[in-house]
Amino acid sequence: MATKWKAALCWLALAAAGFGLINVLIGVGVIDTFIENMLVTIGINIILATGLNLIIGFSGQFSLGHAGFMALGAYATAIITSAMPTVGGFYLSVAVGIAIAMVVAVIIGIPTLRLRGDYLAIATMGAAEIIRVILNNLKITNGAAGMFNIPALAGWPTVYVMVCLTTLMIVNFARSRAGRAIQAIREDEIAAEASGIDPTKWKLAAFVMGAATAAIGGSLDAVYIQTIAPGNFGIMNSIAILIIVVLGGVGSMTGTFMAAAVLGVLDTVLQSFGALRMVIYALALIAIMVFKPSGLLGRYEVSIRAWLDRKGVNNAASNSNRAE
Amino acid sequence: MPLLTVTALSKRFGGLNAVEAVDMHVDEGELVALIGPNGAGKTTLFNLLTGVTAPTSGSVTLTVDGKPVSLLNRAPYQVAKLGLARTFQNIRLFARLTVRENIQAAMTHRYHENFLATVLRLPAYYKKEALVGGWTDALLEAFDLTAVADLAAANLPYGTQRRVEIARAVATQPKLIFLDEPAAGMNPEETAALTALIQRLRSEFHLTVVLIEHDMSLVMKLAERIYVLEHGKVIAHGTPTEIQQNQAVITAYLGGGVHA
Repeated sequence: MATKWKAALCWLALAAAGFGLINVLIGVGVIDTFIENMLVTIGINIILATGLNLIIGFSGQFSLGHAGFMALGAYATAIITSAMPTVGGFYLSVAVGIAIAMVVAVIIGIPTLRLRGDYLAIATMGAAEIIRVILNNLKITNGAAGMFNIPALAGWPTVYVMVCLTTLMIVNFARSRAGRAIQAIREDEIAAEASGIDPTKWKLAAFVMGAATAAIGGSLDAVYIQTIAPGNFGIMNSIAILIIVVLGGVGSMTGTFMAAAVLGVLDTVLQSFGALRMVIYALALIAIMVFKPSGLLGRYEVSIRAWLDRKGVNNAASNSNRAE
Repeated sequence: MPLLTVTALSKRFGGLNAVEAVDMHVDEGELVALIGPNGAGKTTLFNLLTGVTAPTSGSVTLTVDGKPVSLLNRAPYQVAKLGLARTFQNIRLFARLTVRENIQAAMTHRYHENFLATVLRLPAYYKKEALVGGWTDALLEAFDLTAVADLAAANLPYGTQRRVEIARAVATQPKLIFLDEPAAGMNPEETAALTALIQRLRSEFHLTVVLIEHDMSLVMKLAERIYVLEHGKVIAHGTPTEIQQNQAVITAYLGGGVHA
C-alpha cells in the first residue's frame, strides 16, 4: 500500500482514538465539566490559531485582525440560530459566517495586503476595530449589550470534528501548489513575482482562507459560550490568538496545537491563583520566548508520512543487508 | 521578427536619465551580452524589460507564438508567464525552502490544482503532484542538483545557489532568460562551470540568453553580440571583436582625454 494512504489512515485512526479516549474519560468521570470546558476552549483556539498561522507563518503577512473575522462568524451564528434554533440552523449559520468573513477578507485584503510588516498589522487591526464598532452599533446585533441565550447547539464532539476538518484543510492547502506559491512570496516577493507568481492573488487566498477558519471558530464559540458581545472581539483577542501562533512557532501547525494546549492548561491551572494568575501567565510567556525565541517547535512538523518513509528506507536497507 | 524588440526605451529618475533612448533587439537562439561600467544602467534596463519598473517612454515587444506582444504595463509575474525569466545580481532564492521547493515554486503557472481536490487530497491532486514531481526531478538532474534537492537553499555554497537560481528561472519554461551578473563573486573554477552551464541553456533547453556581466573573458567567450551601455545610452553594439576595437568602448572603460 502506498505510504500516502497509510499515513492518511494513521491520522484517521489517531483522530478516532482521540475522540474515543475523551468519550471514555468523560464516561468514567475523569473529565468533568471544568476540564471539558478547557478542552473545548483549546479546540476553538486551535481552529483560530491554525488559520492565523497560515496567514502569518506561511504567507508571511502580519495580520492583527483575526478577532474581527471571528466576530463575523459568532454573530452570524447568534442571529441565525435565534431564528432557527436547530442543528441545521447552526450549520447554516456556520456557512453564512464563512461566506461573510470571506467577502469581508477580500474587501479588507485588496487594499491592505500590499502593505508590509507593521503597516499591515496596523491596517488589519483597524479593519477589525471597524467590524467591532459596526457590531456595537447595529440593532440586529443588540449593540454593546451583545447577544445571549444563544442555543447550545454544539458540544465538544462538534468542536473536535471541526478541529480535525479545519486542520486537514489548512495543512493540505499549505502543502500544495498554493502553499508553495504563498511560501515563495513570504521568502522573497520580488523573486516570486519574477517566477510567475501573482503576489496579490496568493496573499489574498491565504488571508481569505484564514478568515474563513476564524469565522468557524467564532461560530463554535457563540454556541458553546452562549453569550457574545462586541467587547469579546477586540484587539486583545487578536493578540491572544497571535500569542498562540508565536509561542508554538511561526510556520509550524504542530506547534500551534501544542501552544494552544499548553496555554489552555496553564490558564485553567492558574484559575486558583486569583490576581497572580495573569502575572504568572505573562512570566511563562516571557520565559518561553527567552529560552525558545522561535517558539516551542520552531518550524518543525509531525509527519507520519515522513516517518513511514524513513521506516521504509530502513527496512529496505536491512532487507538488502540480509540478502547479502 | 526578433524575439525581443526594444525601441527608444527611456527611464528618468528625477533629473537622472538612467536609461536613455535604448534600441536593441534579440533574435531567437542568440546569446547577447550587455556590458558597461558600474552605474551604466544595465540592471535598470533589465528591470524595465521584466516589468519591475515602468519606463518613462519607449516600447518593449516580445514575440509570443509568432505574434508581437507589448510588455509595457505588465506586472513582473505576467512578463514571466509570457516567457521571460530572470536571475538577480544579488541572489534571490527562497532561502528557507528546499531546492526542490524553490524549483516547484517557479512552476505554479504551468499547471492548476483544484481547491477541493487539494484540501481533500482527491486523486486529481496526486496526479498533478506526480506530474510536477516529474518535471522537477528532470530539472534537478539536468542541473546536477539532485544531491542537494532536500537542503534549504540558504545552506548551499555560493556557486550552487547561482545554479539553483538559474534552474528556477528555467523552471518557469521561458523562451528568453536574463542573467544579471551570474559570475559575480565566483572563483575561476566556478566561472568555468557557469560558462558551460550557460552554453547548455542554449544547446539543451533552446533558450535565448541575455547576459549582464563584468567578467570580460566570459563575455567574449559566450556572446555573439554585445551592447555597451554608458550613462544609460547604448554607445556601441556589435560582435565581440568589433567591440574590443571600438574607441568609444575603450574610452568608457579606461577613461580618455588625459594625455600623459
